[in-house]
Amino acid sequence: MKCLLIASESAEVLFYWTDPEFRQNVQDQYGASQEEGQRPPAFEDSLNTLFAPIIISCSTMVDRLGDSYACFTTENQHNYVLHQFDECLYIAVNGDGQECEDDLRRKIYVMKKMIEVLFGMVNLSSNLLRKELRPQDTEQRTGLWKHLQGLLETYSRLRENDQSFLVEAVERLIHPTLCEQCIEFLERRLLPALNSSSERNGEEVLHSFILVHTKLLAFYSSRNTSTLSPSDLLALIVMTQSMYPSNTDQEDPGPEDVESVSVSGLEMFYTPQPSPTNRSSSGSERTAREDTPMFEFVDPDIQIAEDSLITLEVSPPDPLAPTRVFLEVSLKDGLYPMMPHSMYCRPLWPGITLVLLTKIPNSSVAMSVYSYLEAFAKLEKRLSEGQEGPAAARGQPTVHDLRSKLDKFIKALGPCDIQVPYSDIQVPYSDIQVPYSDIQTSQLQNVWSEFKKRAFTRGGPGFTRELIPWCKSMKTQLCGVYKQCFLNGTTRGADAPQRLSPALQELAQAMVQEKLMDWKDFLLVKSKRNITMVSYLEDFPGLVHFICVDRSSGQMIAPSLNITERSTSELGGGPLAQFIRGKVWGLVRTARQYLQKGYSTVTLRDGDFYFCYFLWFENETGYKLDEVDLPVLPDDSPPIGVLARDYYRKLLRYYSKTHAGEVVKCYELLTVHLGVIPTEYILQHCRQLASKLWEPSRNPLL
Amino acid sequence: MAELMANSGRCTYFFLYDGTKVQGEGDPTREGICYFYPEQTPVDQQELLCGQLAGVGRCVSELSSSPVRVLRLRHSKFAIKMEDDFFWALGCAMDFPTVSMCDRLDQLIKLFCFYNGPVRQSYQTNSRETLALCWSRYLFYLQAGATELHHIFSCLRTIDSTHIDPLLLLKAALILQACQRCPLVLAGCILFRGRVVSTQMPPCLTVRVMAHETQTYNKDERLNGMSSSFPLSSAVTSTTVHLTLSELQDLRSTTVDRESRPHSTPSQGSRPRRTRLSRTLSDTPSTESTPDLEPEPPGRPMRLDAPLSPGLSRGAEQRDATPTNDPLLSPASPRFPEISPLTNQKGPRRGGQEEEDEEDGPLEKSRYYSFHSPDGNTSQTEFQGEAPPPTDASPLGNPPPAGRRAPEREGYPEGRAASGGSGGDILPGAGVKDRTVVPMTLYQHRVKGLLLALLVEPHLQRDTEAMEEVYHSSLASLNGLEAHLRTVAPGAPGLQGPYTFAHYDCVQNTLTTNVSGRAGGDQDHSFVRATSLLHTHFCNSDALQEAIIRSARTAVYATRSVAQETYFLQHGGALRNSGVPNHQDTAFTLPSKARHRLLKHGVSLL
Repeated sequence: MKCLLIASESAEVLFYWTDPEFRQNVQDQYGASQEEGQRPPAFEDSLNTLFAPIIISCSTMVDRLGDSYACFTTENQHNYVLHQFDECLYIAVNGDGQECEDDLRRKIYVMKKMIEVLFGMVNLSSNLLRKELRPQDTEQRTGLWKHLQGLLETYSRLRENDQSFLVEAVERLIHPTLCEQCIEFLERRLLPALNSSSERNGEEVLHSFILVHTKLLAFYSSRNTSTLSPSDLLALIVMTQSMYPSNTDQEDPGPEDVESVSVSGLEMFYTPQPSPTNRSSSGSERTAREDTPMFEFVDPDIQIAEDSLITLEVSPPDPLAPTRVFLEVSLKDGLYPMMPHSMYCRPLWPGITLVLLTKIPNSSVAMSVYSYLEAFAKLEKRLSEGQEGPAAARGQPTVHDLRSKLDKFIKALGPCDIQVPYSDIQVPYSDIQVPYSDIQTSQLQNVWSEFKKRAFTRGGPGFTRELIPWCKSMKTQLCGVYKQCFLNGTTRGADAPQRLSPALQELAQAMVQEKLMDWKDFLLVKSKRNITMVSYLEDFPGLVHFICVDRSSGQMIAPSLNITERSTSELGGGPLAQFIRGKVWGLVRTARQYLQKGYSTVTLRDGDFYFCYFLWFENETGYKLDEVDLPVLPDDSPPIGVLARDYYRKLLRYYSKTHAGEVVKCYELLTVHLGVIPTEYILQHCRQLASKLWEPSRNPLL
Repeated sequence: MAELMANSGRCTYFFLYDGTKVQGEGDPTREGICYFYPEQTPVDQQELLCGQLAGVGRCVSELSSSPVRVLRLRHSKFAIKMEDDFFWALGCAMDFPTVSMCDRLDQLIKLFCFYNGPVRQSYQTNSRETLALCWSRYLFYLQAGATELHHIFSCLRTIDSTHIDPLLLLKAALILQACQRCPLVLAGCILFRGRVVSTQMPPCLTVRVMAHETQTYNKDERLNGMSSSFPLSSAVTSTTVHLTLSELQDLRSTTVDRESRPHSTPSQGSRPRRTRLSRTLSDTPSTESTPDLEPEPPGRPMRLDAPLSPGLSRGAEQRDATPTNDPLLSPASPRFPEISPLTNQKGPRRGGQEEEDEEDGPLEKSRYYSFHSPDGNTSQTEFQGEAPPPTDASPLGNPPPAGRRAPEREGYPEGRAASGGSGGDILPGAGVKDRTVVPMTLYQHRVKGLLLALLVEPHLQRDTEAMEEVYHSSLASLNGLEAHLRTVAPGAPGLQGPYTFAHYDCVQNTLTTNVSGRAGGDQDHSFVRATSLLHTHFCNSDALQEAIIRSARTAVYATRSVAQETYFLQHGGALRNSGVPNHQDTAFTLPSKARHRLLKHGVSLL
């Protein structure tokens, strides 16, 4: 019995996901109270009614007590976790004992992360985000919610079954030669081919990677590009898996399967470009896509009309249309969160996917918007702290600096490509889109000139508390500009949607397919048995399982733990493997609990097993650095992990304070031994594993 | 730092809210607030908390069709109890273990019911002000004095046996046994200045009896007006208390056992004990050791919990001698799982029975029979009279009979609820037994700082002969015991060493530790923090036996068995380590160090 709900402060449902049991439970509660013959209320309404008292009480508590609910537990062990992000309240419920409080909190944070990746800085304005999450149009809403539900389900499935999502680190396929070849291929052949093409429409491929199921075969970022953070990479893998789910229950494909697989791959390759106006909801779109006749050439006028209708659709129904994702970019002059990118997912064969991330032409606007948003937020903070007058106007950059820059920015933005009227706070939001070209900027201009009048005019109020609402208003306007530029960006004007041309995408797909043709069967098997415990049994008698994570690079190594019915590992299939799996999952959970409270070493004797967990720091040369007191975090702090909030990056930053000028690396090791092995041997094993695993030459399979 | 330690076990809020009083739209929330702590909280704040928490609690419990147990906010957390339209909430600081917080709320409610009967009923018969006084007193009692470690384990406070001649403890046990010769006496305990000297009751009952002792010791003896003087002496008082049927059954079943026991059983063992007994009672206790009196198995020195343990160990001896007769092992008493602390009671009681067999057996028996049938009737009528009972403290389907791990732990968390329910499952209708309360009498005989408290059948008061017997049989010994205990220097801190430890006996619910409450250093604080984390972990995981956790500064080792939990921290020697797996890490030598060091505290980890 599981549920996740996002609600606004006024108890409006912004998103929900439930499993069938929860749905049944709610319907039972309502079915009983319904009169004969009356139709049961819509599920969303029932959900709303049920949770409304909690949501309203939550905001009452915030208003009057400055505190809000974090968690409820009932006597039959149902868990409720609540978290408020700005004005959106997230509630996660579990009633079947499968998820503990930490899991639920993690789910909430992951959902938040996904929304950030999909909506970028619109997250900074609750008002705008609310409208994005709950489009007025029912069909659009259903489509969007289905998409988000799919992401959530994919994440939950991965977290339950995939070790890399358990510890939230990327797992590489261990095959050095092939990996190297592939990276070289991406670097020397694919990216140059794409980035030199005239059909890229101004986009530039920054990152490219090949996934085999959830495991990374090769990753290449073009030079001078900011690195892709582990958190974003994991989120992108979830999205890819959601788009092209790999059937994990399937046994390694036999020869005949491979035959059919390659056929379907070819089919996909020759599939003509589908219409961008295909608006079927994401669930049925894949089937619909294959059946409907495709039009290569569409009357431009029709296209405009249709495009203007789907401006809010974030999940493109067109497989060749990119997904807009907002990722963190770290440049020399600072860290820019939520910068727009386009993501192209090309399935090579079932289970193997090529992902391209491109920089879009006007992405510099996002950077400017972000720096202005930051400046206004800082100003607002200073004002609300009681600083007034010149003191508040100082800061980095100074307000006068900001003024001239913003003036230029607005002028440059001009009436350019912004066509959708955005209604600000005064005017009620309207879904009808009038093709005026500069209303958006005029709103921004209006607010900005009002701001200037108050702030800079001699004899005006100047920098006082009264300016705070105007700061807020400016932020909303800037978010609005950002939204117009990047969330509706694929349907600008009369041009074709902004993207790499279909032919170019197909070229990329074909190139990689050709490269990997001989390897694909091997890769599919390899991804199931990346490394196996067998290779370690001789050196480490009594070792049952281990996971080793390099937190600096966000990568992990662990013997594969196949738990599906049909596949067997050396642990055997079925119950035993399932049992070990349960233990490993439990150990990770426990280790995090202690880590949260500042303990970096944990050993446990639990039933017939002995568990160890270690976290330590090294410098670049492998010298083990001294431990420092780790931060002790409160119970409701963000979950320890990477995907939602990168705890380890913070930890590394915290540690680096005492080790200035040194590259600090952070590692984790978890082991499961048989309980009968004497402790000193267990510790020796751990030590050997810790020193060996990241040295490729000494690892039997690296 | 010390302040922090003392305070974090303290409750921040406690309230009882009666939902039946606020049903209409216009009913003000304050009508429903039966009691609110801290009492000086502004009424609108009280209304806010009560109204919101009770409302949300109800909403959640409807969604999940189960009452809410824990409700956490960002900066505080509450243990919740919802029953019969009553809503209790006990708030604690964030770093206090949730398990212990829930225990405390249950304890508090049961304590209230013990002295006042069912909540609904007592609110019908008494004014809110009177009962508010009770709540505040019980609340104060439950969090007074003890260190945070005591709060974490919700354990009994015992006298420090390291400073006391073991003979005194034996003497106390014998006094209790002597009292039990009167069949109207169910069980008793001896307390000295708020600490347990010896008890025959399960820990959860001892805690409740102690609440009254603390009140009477601290204040006027007739505080709540429920005491009535016995004709014998002003030192003797009695109070009506309320036991659930299952609690009562546990106490009585031992009486039945006594009756059904073959008389000849322990005869060969009784002789030496008899000499010991006479010597104990008459001789002036001396500090010299008495090797022939070793009641504990060899190699197991006297423990801090010794006041409770002679019975246990003797019970064990006897079990060895006559295994088939032991009710624990015989299938006749399937109600008591593994390590029922009844051993605790049975030992002394058996001793008492030997006494009675040899000295005044016939008299004893006739009296027993004469009382037995009226007793049956009484409880019967009471049962009917009270049904359907409006409320009681333990709706979770299970009594804490003797020896649940901590007195009121059932229902939290998951695994525990299942195991805790076993007693109730076996006995059909245990739920009814739990919700039905039977008035009994708490007989108290005070000799200055010393108190003899006995749970007795209510009609003992009418049975003058029996009363006198109980009174006179114990009077002289109590005086003697008091005189000796008084001379013992009050609680010097426990044996110090280059280490900190805590040893929790889950059966007797006692704690042995060398952490002193007041002078909490940095080291102590981190020990307490680790202990509370590990204790929570132990409570939530059935299979976990042993754990070592290490931060940059401290390493704590914890181990547990069915009957005990032990926590150990070694001082000194900065743990210069990188945290990388290393078998030379000092943290991993903790288990052997603990085994070695704790032996002299009477803690055996072998």
